[in-house]
Amino acid sequence: MIPSIAPAPVPATANAEDTGTGEATPASTATGRPGPGPKAAVGRIQAHRLFAAPGAVAGVLWLAALVLASLTAPWWLPYKTEDQDFAAILSGPTAAHWLGTDELGRDLLSRIFAAAAGTLGTSLITVIVGVGLGTVLAMVAAAGKRTEGPISRVTEVMMSLPGTVIILAVIGAVGTNIPVVMAILGVLISAGIYRVMLGQATALQSQLYVDAAKVDGVSTLGISLRHVLPGLNNTIVVQSALIFAVGMLIQAGLAFIGFGPPIPQPSWGGMIQGASQHVYDAPWLMVPTGVVLALTVLAANAIGNALGKAPNAAASHLPSAADRRRRAAASAAAPSTAAAAPSAAPDEPATAGRLSVRGLSVGVDGGTPLVTEVSFDVEQGTVLGLVGESGCGKTMTALSLLGLLPSGVSASGGQILWNGRNLAAAAENELAGVRGREIALISQEPMRALDPMFTVGYQLVSAIRRLRSMGKAEARTEALGLLEKVGIVDAARILTTYPHQISGGMAQRVAIALALAGRPRLLVADEPTTALDVTVQAEILSLLRALVKDTGMSVVMVTHDLGVVADICDTVAVMYAGQVVESGRTANILDNPRHPYTLALLAADPHANTAEDMPERLATINGQVPQPKDWPGGCRFVARCQFAGSACAAPVPLVPSGSDDGLVRCVKADELAVEGLAWVATEVPAHRVPDILEMDSTVEKDRP
Amino acid sequence: MEVIMAIYVAKRLLMALATVLVVAVLAFLLVHAMPGSPGAVSLGAGATQQAIDEVNVRLGWSDPLPVQFFRWLGSAAQGDFGVSLIDGRSVSADLASRLPVTAALAAGATLLSAVLGIGLGVTAAVRGGLVDRIVGAVCGLAVALPAFWIGIIFVYLFAVQSSVFPATGYVPFEVSPQDWALSLALPVITLAVGGAAFIARQTRASMLEALQQEHIRTLRATATPTWKILYIHALRYASLPIVAGIALQFIGLFGGSVIAEQLFAMPGLGQAVQTSVSTHDAPSVQGVVVVATVVVVAVNLVLELATKFLDPKLRAS
Repeated sequence: MIPSIAPAPVPATANAEDTGTGEATPASTATGRPGPGPKAAVGRIQAHRLFAAPGAVAGVLWLAALVLASLTAPWWLPYKTEDQDFAAILSGPTAAHWLGTDELGRDLLSRIFAAAAGTLGTSLITVIVGVGLGTVLAMVAAAGKRTEGPISRVTEVMMSLPGTVIILAVIGAVGTNIPVVMAILGVLISAGIYRVMLGQATALQSQLYVDAAKVDGVSTLGISLRHVLPGLNNTIVVQSALIFAVGMLIQAGLAFIGFGPPIPQPSWGGMIQGASQHVYDAPWLMVPTGVVLALTVLAANAIGNALGKAPNAAASHLPSAADRRRRAAASAAAPSTAAAAPSAAPDEPATAGRLSVRGLSVGVDGGTPLVTEVSFDVEQGTVLGLVGESGCGKTMTALSLLGLLPSGVSASGGQILWNGRNLAAAAENELAGVRGREIALISQEPMRALDPMFTVGYQLVSAIRRLRSMGKAEARTEALGLLEKVGIVDAARILTTYPHQISGGMAQRVAIALALAGRPRLLVADEPTTALDVTVQAEILSLLRALVKDTGMSVVMVTHDLGVVADICDTVAVMYAGQVVESGRTANILDNPRHPYTLALLAADPHANTAEDMPERLATINGQVPQPKDWPGGCRFVARCQFAGSACAAPVPLVPSGSDDGLVRCVKADELAVEGLAWVATEVPAHRVPDILEMDSTVEKDRP
Repeated sequence: MEVIMAIYVAKRLLMALATVLVVAVLAFLLVHAMPGSPGAVSLGAGATQQAIDEVNVRLGWSDPLPVQFFRWLGSAAQGDFGVSLIDGRSVSADLASRLPVTAALAAGATLLSAVLGIGLGVTAAVRGGLVDRIVGAVCGLAVALPAFWIGIIFVYLFAVQSSVFPATGYVPFEVSPQDWALSLALPVITLAVGGAAFIARQTRASMLEALQQEHIRTLRATATPTWKILYIHALRYASLPIVAGIALQFIGLFGGSVIAEQLFAMPGLGQAVQTSVSTHDAPSVQGVVVVATVVVVAVNLVLELATKFLDPKLRAS
């Protein structure tokens, strides 16, 4: 077929990115532009992906066999391409003619393989011209800002041409000279290749090591050849495979309409054209050539797709069918009404407006746990802080309260008791009744939390109508009221804007208004101030504090900032590696921390140390939060703890810490309290120094 | 804001005009590179050199190229592409009678591809699992099979085995709307197979990307029904690359009509290109190249403006 002279779905993706709506996502790396950052791996040909895909392996084998068979054709083909067997005209497969014969009694097998070499070879011309020219143009455009404009305009024009018609006009001028025609086809296709390559080449040009090379006086050409071209390797191979397939299809299409190699030379398109004349009396004739052509195209596509397959980094925010089935099964097995749940202790009556999380575990389905045995309570009208470094399971805990865990992650045990129900085992439709109306969410990046395609007004008004069953006019009045309540002065104007037209702080106010739309009793705030400027942070915090006071709702505040905790939280749960390691009243925790991790967090926080006792060197916590698969059997903080001893290897229970209703998970908690030990700042350990040097040399090595 | 939009539209119109002009020059030069002078082509073999020369002079063939070009461009701008060297009929009249055939074919195929492709792509993205793999495999096969081969199989199935549709031929709409639709059915379906697969892949990728956006979680947190998240919010977010994909597809399908028209004996532009190129009929080749370019560029322009309109960031800035 000739349908698309522009290559497969890639240019459209490139278009989408140019329009700027789709933030460059990890998923688009292979086809579109890689994000800035260490992308040295992008350039390497991803051979492991090839061997991981059975289709691609089959494709490589098929192409290799085809090339081998066609090159050696003269020695093994049973017949010459022009040999006619008048005894077997239009025959099906027989012992003499394995794939049958055509209307002149010529052997199909022989003709198919005799035609293969020419088809593959001339398609290669399109690949070399198209991918070569496209890559060179992209590198030139990426190297200089002035060249990019004109080249892009020209390629845009080329992509909007009816390529097939132009190729036919070329054939009119030069005749059916297949190599020339395929080369000109390559020129037309190069525009699409350019679009794919440009983003990547530009990203590579903006790498730090390229800047360094420029400072060193490496010429533009040198940079393009040494630093940019190697980075494009994988994309070049991917595009070559895809264009090879396009070339074969177009060539066959041309031969089909009579612009193939001169008769009697066999060509796949020509043979299918011949077969189409006999679809009434010998339909078999269609099969062998069509199958061989289709298999060859499939083989090239499979190779290209396997090499170009981008890792699917982010998970969908909608539950998959499997997620929904699991939830339905779980809720059927364990009715969500807390009274019916046997493990709901009788001394904990379900109080309205009180959240009680009991032994909650969250994990990747059928795999790694992310959060284990987390328990905490939030009384009505109070604020709980969930504190810890990144990767401690705070956000997963928070999202599980609304049943909004990402696809493939779910609550695997424990209870989330809310208004007499266990939300951990609630069905999706039950949760939908809770979300927004009883429990609401605000998230870290307000800009990304709002739908960029709809106005603030649409999003707010439709949420109010849905959650409060209001009419349109009434909901609009309510929306204006909500925006004023969150401190927006020109509410009427904000309603008409799109999210990208307002500032981050304003967007977070809108997101809070959206969360308040259903008059929730509990607000889950996932680092609501982290992405904002410091002054705006303070405003948002005081807004939240005022809302708690006015509405009497409770808040679960996820944060890594102890300043935020001190500012707004009544109680705190410190999380480390998926566990609560210490919990209690904010004042107790901050003034008298019992767990070494809490101690360390406080010592490492510049704001927690007041001016007079500000240490000369701020403390650090060596190492990183371990990955769930590396969690030790005993205390999970053991590897980073300054006080760790042999007793820490055994599992540690959460026990009363002695101050009010505080709990702590440390075997040495009492010992530390008695001795009044402090987390001390350490010198930069000697073994870290070579690391830094090594990083420099890694950069050096990465220079391709 | 309106002014900025107007400037943008004006710029795009100029680009489109420039594209058509470039193609006009290209078409003119290519045709002049064709073997055989107009006289030789129109008189056929066996004509005397004197007769050939006479025709060539009458057609202005011996004038300098720029003169010929601007004379041709002047008439072309007024819709006159001269007369065919083969049968002496007006090229413009011929193309005017052929355009509706190809337009119906390409528009029908684009529409069918878009409906099928978006439906399949959304289903694959939303259902995931086995459904996704099946749709993926079918689409992979559909883009690998040549349209002409699929077309012949359809003829075999629907016209030879069971005569649901006519195998070949075209019935004008004015003659019988029903027969017109029936005669278009097989060629449209043939072209739409590959197109639908292409759009389905694009839609699937865009929908998956849309569903990974954080605002989807906000929508769920405010109890938005799933159908509304999928078909109002996610599809809207995914619509930009999908529309861009449809625009590309139309260009491809317009070219693909050359094959469909040959296969199904449809008197459209594709058939005109094929015959005029084989017979070296210079004015017809020039005419059909220019007309095809104008149509493709115009449709592309409209779809591009539609894309910009769909994107609030671009609409407002």
